[in-house]
Amino acid sequence: MKTIDAKSKELREVNGALRESLNGGPVEIKNAEDLHGLAAGLNRGEVVVRGSAGDYLGVLNSGGTIRVTKNAGKYVADNMTDGVIIIEGNADYGVGQYCYGGTVVVHGNAGDFTATMNKGATIIVNGDVGDEAGTYMLAGDLVVVGNAGENFANYLIRGDIYIGGEWKSLGHNTKLKSLTKKDIGKLEKYFEAHGLDADPTGFKKIVAASEKPFYH
Amino acid sequence: MGVVGAFCVSVNREICINAQMPGKCATCAEVCPHGVYALDVETGQMQIQNFNACVGCRICAEFCPANAIRINPAESEYISRYPWTFSAIEEVHHKAQTGEYLLRGFGTQGPTPNFDMITVVPSQIASEAPRDKYREECNMQVIIGEDTCEKPMILKLPFVWPAMSFGALSKEAKLALAIGAAMTGIATNTGEGGLLPEEMWLSRGYADEKRKQKKWEPGGSLVVQWSTGRWGVSAEYVNSGDAVEVKIGQGAKPGMGGHLLGAKVTEAVSEVRGIPVGSDALSPCRYYDVQTMDDMKHMVSFLRDVTEHKFPILFKLGPSRPYADVAACIEAGADAISIDGLVGGTGCSPDLVTQGVGIPTIACIPPAVQALKDYGVYRKVKLIALGGIRNGLDAFKAMAMGADAVGFGSAAEVALGCRVCYACHKGNCPYGITSQKEEFRARLDPVEGGERLANFIRATGEEVKILTMLSGHSSIADLSPEDLRAMDLNTAALTGLKLAGFERPLPMWEDGFVGVSGNGKK
Ligand SMILES: Cc1cc2nc3c(=O)[nH]c(=O)nc-3n(C[C@H](O)[C@H](O)[C@H](O)COP(=O)(O)O)c2cc1C
Ligand code: SF4
Repeated sequence: MKTIDAKSKELREVNGALRESLNGGPVEIKNAEDLHGLAAGLNRGEVVVRGSAGDYLGVLNSGGTIRVTKNAGKYVADNMTDGVIIIEGNADYGVGQYCYGGTVVVHGNAGDFTATMNKGATIIVNGDVGDEAGTYMLAGDLVVVGNAGENFANYLIRGDIYIGGEWKSLGHNTKLKSLTKKDIGKLEKYFEAHGLDADPTGFKKIVAASEKPFYH
Repeated sequence: MGVVGAFCVSVNREICINAQMPGKCATCAEVCPHGVYALDVETGQMQIQNFNACVGCRICAEFCPANAIRINPAESEYISRYPWTFSAIEEVHHKAQTGEYLLRGFGTQGPTPNFDMITVVPSQIASEAPRDKYREECNMQVIIGEDTCEKPMILKLPFVWPAMSFGALSKEAKLALAIGAAMTGIATNTGEGGLLPEEMWLSRGYADEKRKQKKWEPGGSLVVQWSTGRWGVSAEYVNSGDAVEVKIGQGAKPGMGGHLLGAKVTEAVSEVRGIPVGSDALSPCRYYDVQTMDDMKHMVSFLRDVTEHKFPILFKLGPSRPYADVAACIEAGADAISIDGLVGGTGCSPDLVTQGVGIPTIACIPPAVQALKDYGVYRKVKLIALGGIRNGLDAFKAMAMGADAVGFGSAAEVALGCRVCYACHKGNCPYGITSQKEEFRARLDPVEGGERLANFIRATGEEVKILTMLSGHSSIADLSPEDLRAMDLNTAALTGLKLAGFERPLPMWEDGFVGVSGNGKK
């Protein structure tokens, strides 16, 4: 595996080297915790970030597979349209915002505003999420295996939110629904695919009360 | 709305087709965006049912096949009854009855400080002699990102179409703007509602996707907007233009995100935006993915990275604290900054925000220029003035105050036929400019519209050229505030321009902007 040491390097240099190396199999990047926007806009290839990553990891990803062996900063997978991003530790504020597609898996906890304005991606958090997760989500799935904070799923418009634990408070325009067989099948598949030890039967599902909520 | 009750509608019943033959014609009722006219379905008679709702746009008069309609302003009542004018009363009644505030399209109504109280100073014997507009050259070109980008964006004339989204505008209007830009070598802008694929080749002057033969010379450029709702945005999207514009705000509704009412969210719009058909698209007022100034800088750096450092990164600001905001854009790494003033147009906004929020354009430019100078990037980082610019005279004044280029939003709509009826939010635009309905859109042909827009730009370019040359310059880059005088104290106080007759700036401006505001360097 080719390795890029990102220590004291500029984003342009690291991402440039990364893009050049993608055709030759997976690329490993180390010392990347101070780089923001690592692996931006990839459309293919496989990247392993050894250690932690900075903010905006995999922003505008459109087909790359990125794995981080420790934690990630803010805005992981921002505006992704395709591809897979896996964080083995925790992720900070705003995981998977503005995504049109692809999959994000956080094995630890994720911060506030996770999956805000998700427009079609699958976002799975094995631990807890912070406040305001799923705000103004328009499509896609948000799966939280642990607990959620305040104002969960606020102003949900479309898409499905699944949660295994509890939430502190639920946002506007939400309603609870029981899981169908299809939902359970889907969650089982997600858990199996990403090696998560969770049982979907106890999960709750949140959907939008209305597609056209009234705003003031 | 300030104009409710300000107009008298009269129909000459002797020539009105409906009055002669009830049921034969109901054109006025069909085209009026405000329901002034109503057809009695039983008798077929047309009546002026709601004459106070007239906003004076005269669309009905234009469409009336018998030329039977006259609209006259009733302004004297307006002055004598101020401040409790009819419209002020109606607005309170509307809220009392419905519990809702007013929404509307277009820019600020009524007088606000503007370019009209500024005059252009021509050359005579004591200053540089005038240039001959008919036989000498004048450099009108603007290059954005010349030193910072691999592919700088070139404007053949110092004009742009500012961001106007698909959704707010019809597809036909968007394509007309792209064609108009191609015909004149200026830039069009996707706005925040995603990209129509046709914009990519039409704006560059090609009639079809294959781009074999250029149809419109010289070909223009395309700016793709990056905004808070991120509608239709992907890595491919940011790479499909010649520049990326980071929207912070706009003049009509600074501090708020884009508004698109459900009436305009058709199948096609819902597809681009990824929202349900008929639902309101209310963009967030700020970036969910920016919390600090450092985040903003990182956003610029990843945008540069994803576009491989080819294209300029522009910023678009609403009119708030122009000195500090422009300074922040420079720090974030902008190649050009648009600043939109108070009267800037919109497809939909709360009336009170359009009317009462923001700094007038003429008061935004001097602090913006000062910030650019203080950072040593004046004329390198380009300044684009927006908001209330209607013609070459306004454009020249904005440029002499220090802008490198100007944009025409509302004026572009007017060039397409708009008569300023303020109903853009409703989706019933009779000219198919801001409507998504097939029947109205069919009235707007993108190529014809493109030609009208190109004509407007050419004529306006000539106007700017006249003024540039008669004031002794042969390049727009040489214009300066010395080419202008304020004609009243108010304008001199807001702008720091020399007062006509007094031949100096007002005493408080003698130390420049820093003396007035405490901001900036001497
Ligand atoms: C129909 C319409 C749609 C607009 N959509 C956007 C938009 O999507 N993003 C944006 O930054 N500004 C938008 N604007 C504001 C314009 O970009 C521009 O700032 C404004 O029109 C300039 O003022 P003027 O209309 O007086 O020329 C829109 C304006 C209009 C009239
Ligand atoms: S664009 Fe159409 S709806 Fe908007 S003000 Fe002009 S004529 Fe009226």
